[in-house]
Amino acid sequence: MLGFLCATLLPWVAIAKLTPEQISSLPPPASKSVHFKDDIRPILESACVKCHGRGKAKGGFSLETRELFLKGGDSGVAAIAGKSAESLLIELVSGIDASNVMPRKGSKLTSAQVGLLRAWVDQGISWDPGITFAKQAARNLSTRVAELPPVRGSDHPIDRLMDAYDLVHASPKVATVEDRVFARRLSLDLLGVPLPQERMDAFLKDSVVDKRQKLVDEVFRDQQGYAAHWFSFWNDLLRNDYKGTGYIDGGRKQISTWLHSALVTNMPYDQFVRELIHPNPATEGYTKGIVWRGVVNASVTPPMQAAQNISQVFMGVNLKCASCHDSFINDWSLADSYGLASVYADEQLELVECDKPTGKKAVARFLYPQLGELRSDAPKTNRTARLAEILTSRDNGRLTRTVVNRLWGRVMGRALVEPVDDMDQEAWYPELLDWLAEDLASHGYDLKRTLRWIVTSHAYQRPSVDLGERRAADFVFRGPGIRGMSAEQFRDALSALTGVWHSDPATDFDLATGGDPAVEKFASIPSEARWIWATPGAQDSAPPGEAFFRKTFTLESIPDRATIVALADDSYTLFINGAQLITGKDMDRASFGDLRPHLKKGQNLIAVQASNSAPKDKDKAKEKESGKSADAPKNRAGLFVFARLETGASSMAIFTDATWECVTNNPADWKQLDFGVSRWTPAVAVATWGESPWLGKVPVTRALSLAAMHGQIRESLVEADTLTTALGRPPREQVVTVRASTITTLQALELSNGETLARLLKQGAEKWLASKPSNPDALARELYVKALSRTPNDAELNVAREMLGAKPDAPHVEDLLWAIAMLPEFQLIY
Amino acid sequence: MRTQPLMPRRDFLKTASVATLSALAAGYPRALLAEAEVEKPIPATADTIIVLWMGGGMAHTETFDPKRYTPFEKGLSPDKVLSTFPKIDTAVDHIKFSKGLENVASVMDRGSLIRTYTAGDLGFILHSRHQFHWHTGYAPPQSVAAPHIGAVIARTLGPRDPAVPAFINIGQRFDVGESEELKAFTTAGFLGSEHGPFNIPFPDQAADSVRPPGGMSPDRFANRDKFFKRLLDANPVYQNGSSFQRESLLRSLDNAHRLLSSPSAKAFDISQEPLENIRKYAPSYEPGKRFLAARERFGTYEQQNVGRFGLGCLLARRLAEVGARYIEVTTEYIPFLNWDTHENGHTKAKAMKEQIDAPLAQLVRDLEERGLLNRTLIVLASEFSRDAMLEGRPDKLIKNQVDVPDKMEDLKHYGMHRHFTDAGCVLLFGGGMKRGYLHGTTADERPCKHLEKRVVIEDLHATLYRAMGISPRLAYETEKRPFYVTRDGLGKPITDLFA
Repeated sequence: MLGFLCATLLPWVAIAKLTPEQISSLPPPASKSVHFKDDIRPILESACVKCHGRGKAKGGFSLETRELFLKGGDSGVAAIAGKSAESLLIELVSGIDASNVMPRKGSKLTSAQVGLLRAWVDQGISWDPGITFAKQAARNLSTRVAELPPVRGSDHPIDRLMDAYDLVHASPKVATVEDRVFARRLSLDLLGVPLPQERMDAFLKDSVVDKRQKLVDEVFRDQQGYAAHWFSFWNDLLRNDYKGTGYIDGGRKQISTWLHSALVTNMPYDQFVRELIHPNPATEGYTKGIVWRGVVNASVTPPMQAAQNISQVFMGVNLKCASCHDSFINDWSLADSYGLASVYADEQLELVECDKPTGKKAVARFLYPQLGELRSDAPKTNRTARLAEILTSRDNGRLTRTVVNRLWGRVMGRALVEPVDDMDQEAWYPELLDWLAEDLASHGYDLKRTLRWIVTSHAYQRPSVDLGERRAADFVFRGPGIRGMSAEQFRDALSALTGVWHSDPATDFDLATGGDPAVEKFASIPSEARWIWATPGAQDSAPPGEAFFRKTFTLESIPDRATIVALADDSYTLFINGAQLITGKDMDRASFGDLRPHLKKGQNLIAVQASNSAPKDKDKAKEKESGKSADAPKNRAGLFVFARLETGASSMAIFTDATWECVTNNPADWKQLDFGVSRWTPAVAVATWGESPWLGKVPVTRALSLAAMHGQIRESLVEADTLTTALGRPPREQVVTVRASTITTLQALELSNGETLARLLKQGAEKWLASKPSNPDALARELYVKALSRTPNDAELNVAREMLGAKPDAPHVEDLLWAIAMLPEFQLIY
Repeated sequence: MRTQPLMPRRDFLKTASVATLSALAAGYPRALLAEAEVEKPIPATADTIIVLWMGGGMAHTETFDPKRYTPFEKGLSPDKVLSTFPKIDTAVDHIKFSKGLENVASVMDRGSLIRTYTAGDLGFILHSRHQFHWHTGYAPPQSVAAPHIGAVIARTLGPRDPAVPAFINIGQRFDVGESEELKAFTTAGFLGSEHGPFNIPFPDQAADSVRPPGGMSPDRFANRDKFFKRLLDANPVYQNGSSFQRESLLRSLDNAHRLLSSPSAKAFDISQEPLENIRKYAPSYEPGKRFLAARERFGTYEQQNVGRFGLGCLLARRLAEVGARYIEVTTEYIPFLNWDTHENGHTKAKAMKEQIDAPLAQLVRDLEERGLLNRTLIVLASEFSRDAMLEGRPDKLIKNQVDVPDKMEDLKHYGMHRHFTDAGCVLLFGGGMKRGYLHGTTADERPCKHLEKRVVIEDLHATLYRAMGISPRLAYETEKRPFYVTRDGLGKPITDLFA
């Protein structure tokens, strides 16, 4: 079928017999005795097979086997044994007719090569048995249960495999790295941030035998940290971002909240793939692709983008070449690409080869029909459902191998199969790849399980190695590679060091589930908490205007932590002991503040000025028009305040309820403690906090979680800025599966004089000085511990001391922060 | 001021760009070229290229290809209008310009003019998409990240001076208008960020980008680096070993530091130029006054027409003198502003010509005076042209984006308000181009389309690459396939243009 198609495009033109002059101009046959395997095969392989082998037969001619070669193509017999001067093959490769030379693409054959071919034909067209140029069976496709080698030491499955591997490669046994290095590596690889100092201290002090196992468990319990880190990995793969081309006129749709939530809950990988392939409203952005206004080339229409991205990301297959023409770099054909694209097409597609319509209609099919049939005539939703089924079927060993290979590559610095998007290559240790893939499939497609196997293996805990020049085919595994941090890891590590985090996530993420237990504890709001207002019935309607609220409370000591959040319909300003702390007018986003600097022993006062705006005429009209409310438009009013004060393990909650007091006229000095008491009346509790008419329980909890995290929002959850863009956080215009891990001069420039980093370090220096001792020695020690999880040695301490001066000020601290952050020890994962 | 002999690329690689070399080792795109062309490299006619970008669509009939002039009057039918300015003479007898370009006209004898550039056939107009096409030679979306022509040149030729980034992009902000679309092509793409643009949105503030961060004195900056090196020496983790990753980080930091403290960095500082010179490029320039920061779309300083573009041209000249490789200066693309004239086209074209006329001519003169014009190629271009009536191509009209009244009632109706892709002007000076040469002709009546010698982007790029000594068939390998610097390697240099 394909051969026919191409024959019409690139005819294998029959030519008249050569003249004697032409024959004498042919390169002479090689004078030696030629060997097919050594002399001829390389020529055919490099010059002919792309169009006439591996399942392709342009001009009806295939040379996959000797029989097919002798048979010839549409233009006749290719060669006659013993008569090279009369053979069409020789005529075409010699370039006698400049308008009809083979190969059509790429370098022409040299005279020496033509001479070899002539000699081969003259000597009888020998062909070693067993050599073919046929399409090779797909590698890494079918499932395989890999037998584990016998236990030699550890019974960890990867250790059993690697012990056998080391034996074969005569690798000496190496000890695992020290605890500190392991813990830093683990935390950076799984959560994207260095292990916080307190947890590092506890881990280093711990003396139980299985403490690394315990640490791994602890790290995996941080679902939010895990999600924030792997979110970048998947955004790169799924080409998802908050900004980018296409969004400007609806030509693109995010899948951010779905993806983040899938990572928080560790959605099984088969389900994850099914939801992306057979889309729902939350995931449809993935297969919708990027739509630019105007006429779009047939090779990059949205269905073609879907085909390219699905095959690359989930199957490690590159269809980009084959989207325009039969591929020259692999066995995929134009029809294969259109077959997969057809699943997502609204109408039957016509094959377009290099911008030229072929008149041939595409038939929906999966890349590997042996995994299951697709029906072209089924409705689109059935086709996507069926594709999801095929991709995630238990027989598809490629899906699992592709993802475990990516995970191994991500934490080890080099994957089992490289490049990671070409899963037709052989792994450097196929048994290991097969075992990981099969283990994933047979245990609920739990990606964390795979990662757990990897990070608990001896292989992961070996000293790191320099992978710089060792990407060649003769790769031998010795240990995880030294890697540069990603832009996100670097920014988050800086945030951890300086205390300067992002404060607002880019979109409405679920930050409440499975995060820091302290956050969950903070966000557990007593059921007695209420929305309050000055007038009864405010949950339905209240007169427009201002209302003033207050609450006093007594403290015996200043707490370690004291965070307050507030929400109001429509707006508020909150004061603590007379000082304005937070304001808000966005019902979807609670503002939060730290009470501590304003608290004192004894009586304290929270005062809130809240406002219920008059409904806008426009809103009224809209509500009437939409028929949402046949009754009079509602003008609700309400205030919700919640604070948690913690000292050690003890905790105290302050929240709005009927014990708060209020007035509606503006009282003098109402923000101060010594106010005139008489005119205040109890506030009206108008709704329970969880079932308020304003927000459900989940959004309130979310808003509070965000507050409880003190705005410690990770880089992946906000839009890229100048710094992280410069450091290689990619625009998600194309699928990105590997990021460069070396720093370029332009990037170093951004690190040296970029405004974003300079501002961050300045704020960080001020934070350090505000909360830490200004004694230079102590400060330097703490900075080192925080940044590198170790104390400085004497030489380092001397330099740091000199740098800080006797009385460190912000610029000195800023410069030391910069110097530490530039150290390879800080920037590399080793 | 004469420039020093320039450091050959080989030396730069040896001394400065370990990151590049290591990137190559790590599997970065590899250059592919037919053997014959490797053996016989094309002799370059230019070392530096300055692209002056008329973002938003510069109407050919209002600038370098004037047609019959019809003055405004109430009730005039727009289809009567081909040009809203009278013609003026240039230094070349048979080449006429539109009024308002007297300065450029006076140097036309130093340059070549293409009148038959026809933009890509991309359907419904989106400026940023055509700009993407112009700057990469490929129309988006693309399955691999296509590199900007500046990045291709930077990757292929490297910087001429290690202290001057090879690809410098002046005048475009990325937080206004179709910013994501602009970012999508203002990139080195798969070639790697090493070759990406060094962006300078405000030319008067260019010095900031090569100075220590805000508020840091040079002494403190130097000290910080000294202390860093001492901390590094004292660092125990690497005392006994090294790694590729570590070396590349340190080398790059070192390069950055050298760049920031290099004498060449002074070239970025416009205030080093005598005031009278600055005013030749930007007549109402006031020392110490700065353009407003990003997001201020209509900065007052800018509205006084002080000439951000003019200062950009001056900066380009200074950078060319110290050895920049590819410089682009834009009038800035912001939807409905500058050359994007959806209404008031006449008035706006007049203002835009005021913006570009003096600085462009001055740039040509200054480079000539300094003996640099021969080896510096100046290219003025736009993504497409405009017409009062036609949207797209006469034989393939597309949906109109601008309503044009049957009769003009107001001056704001007077001008070229629709997007026209079937003719357009490209002006070239120096860098081996002919002097006083006109390439191609267009119809004198609507449609004022190209009549002969049509020039498409592949051929224009091939011409620019050829001048820089780069083959249009050069390809870089990505994902095992060749990515050609002109689409499919098909670009043909316009040989008529070369002197």
